[in-house]
Amino acid sequence: MRRIINFPHTMWISQYTVRFAFNEVISQENFQAVQKFNWFLQKNLQHKLVETVASYHTVTAYIHQKIDIKCLQKQWLAMQMSTTNEEIPSRHLQIPICYDEEFALDMQRVMDYTRLTYEEVKVMHMSKAYLVYLIGFLPGFPYLGDLHEQLFVPRLKKPRKSVSASSVGIGGAQTGIYPLDSPGGWNIIGKTPFTLFDVHEKNSFLFSLGDQVQFYEITKQEYSEIKSKGV
Amino acid sequence: MKPLLIVKKQGVYGSMQDQGRYGYRAYGIPRSGPMDKVSFQAAHYILNNDKNQTSFEVFIGGFEFEALTGGTYVLTGAQSECCVNGVPVEMWKTFQLAQGDRLTIKNVSCGSIVYLTPKGGFQTAQILASNSCFPLGTIGDSVRKGSILYGHETESSASMPFTRGLYAPFRPTFKDAITVSVFKGPHFDLFTEESQQQLLQHSFQLTGGNRMGYYLKGSVLQLKEKKDILSEATQFGTIQVPQNGEPIVLMADAQTVGGYPIIATIHEEDLHKIAQMRVFNTVKFALSEG
Repeated sequence: MRRIINFPHTMWISQYTVRFAFNEVISQENFQAVQKFNWFLQKNLQHKLVETVASYHTVTAYIHQKIDIKCLQKQWLAMQMSTTNEEIPSRHLQIPICYDEEFALDMQRVMDYTRLTYEEVKVMHMSKAYLVYLIGFLPGFPYLGDLHEQLFVPRLKKPRKSVSASSVGIGGAQTGIYPLDSPGGWNIIGKTPFTLFDVHEKNSFLFSLGDQVQFYEITKQEYSEIKSKGV
Repeated sequence: MKPLLIVKKQGVYGSMQDQGRYGYRAYGIPRSGPMDKVSFQAAHYILNNDKNQTSFEVFIGGFEFEALTGGTYVLTGAQSECCVNGVPVEMWKTFQLAQGDRLTIKNVSCGSIVYLTPKGGFQTAQILASNSCFPLGTIGDSVRKGSILYGHETESSASMPFTRGLYAPFRPTFKDAITVSVFKGPHFDLFTEESQQQLLQHSFQLTGGNRMGYYLKGSVLQLKEKKDILSEATQFGTIQVPQNGEPIVLMADAQTVGGYPIIATIHEEDLHKIAQMRVFNTVKFALSEG
C-alpha cells in the first residue's frame, strides 16, 4: 500500500520565498518526501518559479509571481491518489577514492576515535551508497548520508585553514567532498581524482541533489592516472 | 571588447555585478548581483542601458581610473567625493571621460556602496548565465591595480550627446539610523520572548561586513533551549543568529544554506537600505504584516 505524504507546513519567508517543511529529522523517509515535493513544485509552478533549494526536511521555493497554496495542496493530494506512479529520476554515481596516507590527513584521529583499523574505516566508508541530501556551504559541496554509525567522528575543534579541493571528509553522521580549496573542519580520510566544480565546463557540477553515490577504492597510481586524464 | 578604463589605484573592494545569477542555488551558488539594487538600477535607467548590464560596485571608495577611450558614465549610490582630473563631478548624472582623464572615487561620506557604470555597461566573461563576480566560487576576475575594465563595442555603448540624470528629490538618501521591515524567520519561535522583543524593539549596530554578511551588535539573542537545527535554505536578507547571540545578516554573496537559527528575513524591498549601512550605523527591525 502506498503511503500518503501530508502536505508540508507552509511558511512565507519573504514576498518571493515560500518554505515548505516536513518533520525536522534526517531520514530516508524525509529524503523521499523532499525529493518528491521538490519535483512536484518544479512541475506544477513552472514559469512562476525561479528556483528551489531542498534540504534535509525543507523545500524552499523562490518565485517571481504569487502562487496559490490551496491549489498546490489539491494538486499534491491528487498526484498521490493517482494510480500512475511517476518515478523521480535519480542518478547513481560511482566515485573513486584514494585512501592513501598522503591524502588521509585525519585517518589517525578517526582510528583513535572509532577504535577501528585503517582497513575497517575504508571498508565501512565504502559499505553503502550515500544520498546527496543537500548541496551548499561551498559551490557544489555535497552533504552525503547516512554514514555508518561507527564512523561518527566529531568535526575538528579547530578547522583547517586550507583543505585541498576533492578531499573526502567525514563529520558527524555525514560524509562530503570539498569542491574547492577552502578552510574546513571535516576529518579528511581520502581524495577523489574527480573535479566537483568547474565553472568553465558545460556540466559545471559533478553532484546534484538526490543523487546516489557509491565510493570505491583506487590506488595512488590509479589516482594519478585518472587525474592526468582529467575527469 | 573595448578597453575603457585602467585601474590606477585599488580601493577597499570592487566587483563587477549584473542583476545576478539565477538557477544555481541548488548547487550552492548564491544569486550575487548588486547589494543596492536601487542605485544599480538607477544607473542603467539614467544611461538608457538594458536592465541587466554590468556595473562596477565599489565599497567605501579609494579607486582611481584612467580612461583608455572616451565615453559616457554615471556614478550612483553612496554619497562620495568623485573627481575627474581633480574637478568634482556630480553623481546621479551622466558625465564624459576623454582618453587620459583620471576618475577618482575618494571617500564615501554617506552610505557605503557606489556604482560606476558606463553607457552600455561593462563587459566581462559570462559564467553560469551571469556577469556577476563571485570570488568564493572562483567566478569572475578580481579587479586590482593595473586591471583593465572593458565595455561593449556596440552602438548602444557609444557616448551620449546629452546629459541625463535624476533630479535631487528622486535620488536615494542614506541615513545613519534606519528601519527595515522583516518577516518572522522559521526559527523565530525558538527564541526567548525577551529576545523576540529585543529584535523588534532595540536597535542594532553594524560592526563590519562584506558582500557575504553584515555583522550586527546589540541585544544578545538567545534560544529558549540549546538546539541544533538542520541546515536549510538562506537568502540575501536572512538574519541568522550564531551561538554568541549576535545576529548576522546574509548578503548577496552569502552561502545558499545555513545551519544557524534564522530569526527573521528582511523584506526584499529594504535590502538596499541595509546594504548601504556603514560601520557604527544602526538598524531597527519592524515586523511586516504582509
